[in-house]
Amino acid sequence: MASVEIMAMTKEEVLEIALTAGKLLLCNGAETYRVEDTMLRICALKGMTTVSAFCTPSVILLSDESLRGFSRMYRVTNRTVDLTVLSEINDFSFNLNKSHKNYAEIMSFLNERLNKPSRRAYVDVLCSAVAGGCFAVVLGGGSNEFMAAFLGSLLSMAFLKKLAAFRPSSFWSTTMAGAIICAVTLGFQHLITTTSMELTTAGALMPYLPGMAFTNGLRDYIAGDLISGNSRVGEAVFLVGGLVIGIATVLGIFYH
Amino acid sequence: MLIKIIFAFVATVAFGKLFYAPQKDLWPSGIVGAVGFGVYIYFMEVLGYSSMLSNFMGTVALATLSEFFARQYKEPVTVFSVPGFIPLVPGLPLYRAMNLIILNDYLKGLSVFVDACLDAMAIALGILLVSGLAKVYKTSKTIIKEKRQEAGE
Repeated sequence: MASVEIMAMTKEEVLEIALTAGKLLLCNGAETYRVEDTMLRICALKGMTTVSAFCTPSVILLSDESLRGFSRMYRVTNRTVDLTVLSEINDFSFNLNKSHKNYAEIMSFLNERLNKPSRRAYVDVLCSAVAGGCFAVVLGGGSNEFMAAFLGSLLSMAFLKKLAAFRPSSFWSTTMAGAIICAVTLGFQHLITTTSMELTTAGALMPYLPGMAFTNGLRDYIAGDLISGNSRVGEAVFLVGGLVIGIATVLGIFYH
Repeated sequence: MLIKIIFAFVATVAFGKLFYAPQKDLWPSGIVGAVGFGVYIYFMEVLGYSSMLSNFMGTVALATLSEFFARQYKEPVTVFSVPGFIPLVPGLPLYRAMNLIILNDYLKGLSVFVDACLDAMAIALGILLVSGLAKVYKTSKTIIKEKRQEAGE
């Protein structure tokens, strides 16, 4: 029964499914070795074993090794983080043959994930505000620091969400976030002078630290993807640099 | 200390939400974050170890726990480990270093910066160690399975 359905799918369709799944994974923040593994697993489950996949943080290549085989490529330009999609695609790739879906059903499942509307911005803003406030307490602050860091993260994230329509580069937006956080903290300290400057700023900037890029880079290194590892860790260093420049500019103006 | 751990839990859950983690994995990832931070602060403040070693131990604890949860809930490890290790990231030393450098105290600023880099490296080493071990565990399991199949045939 199952084997009949496997035969019913052409090579092009299998490659299309595998590439779309890989695209979803890479755009939503998976490690590159996971993208490659998933694409190869999908192809193997559908009976294509002579397939090679190569993936870096910005491009996916998927190709049949035979001389007249098909080859697909996808260039990734913007990446976000959505762990729900990652876990859904993970489940999907393991249960591909058990679920007995045909090509159209699978593609509609994948396209639904691909065209997923982004969540309302206020949830993101609120989450980062709560996280920033809590980190100020974790670092040793009191209620003043909690309030100030909450406000700092809230305003900076709200500003970035407003600007998101213009698709700013990630470096530029973290720099702006750092500057806003620092300005808010300085203002708060002006009102309540006992507020600790360093605890507040350090707490509020936590949501902008590139933890995802850093861990993914390290996990890529472990899997032997040195190019991806280098570029992800490089991205993390670059973003921290942006954040520091933003804060340092405002502080420098203030100290002057 | 307990208050700090509770706030680390809340912050990790908020982070999970920020990264669009699946609803049912939010609480486990909060536990991962709280355990990692708890181990870190226990080593640092109760046992008096250096910040680098405490970071390393905290990361090993949380990475192990997230590998465990990943198998338990059948999710990618990233879902738990990425929000979980955020409380350990050395944001405060980084800020201090930058502040000192702006105030023209380069010597002190650089020494704090090196401290922050060492902390980040300790975290990296913890993640590398545990995910490397997890990979060995996974391969050894498949090898055993293959051997059993060969013996069965």
